[in-house]
Amino acid sequence: MAESKISPYNLADLKNTTDDALGNYMRSLGFQQDNKTTDIKLAVGYVGCIIAAATFAADYKLGWEATKTWTAVAVFAYMVLNGFYSYWVYFVEKGLVFEGTKSGKHVSIASKTNKHEPTYYLTITTNAPSTDPRKIQAPFPTWFTADGFFVAKPFQQWLASSVGVIGDADAKNAMRDQRDELASPKMPAAEASVPEDIGNGTVESTGVESKGKSGKRSKRK
Amino acid sequence: MFGSLANMQPRQLAAQVLQFALVLSTAFMLWKGLSVVTDSGSPIVVVLSGSMEPAFQRGDLLFLWNRRQETQVGEVVVYNVRDKDIPIVHRVIRRFGGGSKPLQLLTKGDNNAADDTELYARGQSFLDRKKDVVGSVAGYVPYVGYVTILLSEYPWLKTAMLVFMALTVVLQRE
Repeated sequence: MAESKISPYNLADLKNTTDDALGNYMRSLGFQQDNKTTDIKLAVGYVGCIIAAATFAADYKLGWEATKTWTAVAVFAYMVLNGFYSYWVYFVEKGLVFEGTKSGKHVSIASKTNKHEPTYYLTITTNAPSTDPRKIQAPFPTWFTADGFFVAKPFQQWLASSVGVIGDADAKNAMRDQRDELASPKMPAAEASVPEDIGNGTVESTGVESKGKSGKRSKRK
Repeated sequence: MFGSLANMQPRQLAAQVLQFALVLSTAFMLWKGLSVVTDSGSPIVVVLSGSMEPAFQRGDLLFLWNRRQETQVGEVVVYNVRDKDIPIVHRVIRRFGGGSKPLQLLTKGDNNAADDTELYARGQSFLDRKKDVVGSVAGYVPYVGYVTILLSEYPWLKTAMLVFMALTVVLQRE
């Protein structure tokens, strides 16, 4: 993919570049893109345009009087199709960036931004049973340089570590080892039995069992 | 500028082109819809000459209604000269027939010295309400029609406008 520069202040460019990168990344991981939503939108839209073109041609060749009835029918049909198209784009497609399947896991990702706010919001729907958050967000500068160049690595890491299905497909960027290490570090057995000098006399339990902030020790006074 | 097009997936490109096609289609269908509602082949016309001054000036935009077949003397109508595609906006000064017989009209521009007999096709003395009249004027907006006059007198403007619109819509992704 060509590395092109965008204005880092243009929210539309930021979002569009990120959306494109998201699609490319998902496809590169082997997700089979499901284009049904887009295809229906395109089909309805183009059928409407064909009807309009046919009406134009008929009117051009045969004049108004001869084509009056067909035009009335065509206008009505067009309004119905256009209404459906608008409904589809606004309610069904709603910010959809990628929809695909891999190894039986179906994932659907929609993106959003708020005006004047440089944050990328994603809504993820999967059929995999998981405790993953349905909505995730990150500021654009996470994967854009100050000049406006897109950097793939931090973007992929954010996605792979935040979304289970993506992490499953991309182990390297998911950094599951680091995540598990942070959660419950494996400490060498010798240290665990001897409490260190903690200064103010209190005894604190440390050891392999403890979770959370066990990496820290209390301050020495 | 075109770099963004090159990087697009085929479906995205199709969607962008569809956006532009829909702009054109919707504009055209709205126009045709207006035609259907008013029952007129050309529901909005621009005054091209000063023959109806001081009532209408060159550049005025006229809105037509064609569902009232019983046109009265004094109404302003738009008609096409038979076999010519020039719409003329003049006032009805005489009517013949009507009811069961086909309605025939004689028209004259307010600012003209003579009635329209000279303007009609050879051998034609009156207008046929059903066949020749496009509609009667129901309302108007002054000056707005000058854009159309410019577009018809400088046809390259039309192409330029269309190209500009196309680029704007296809390349815009907001």
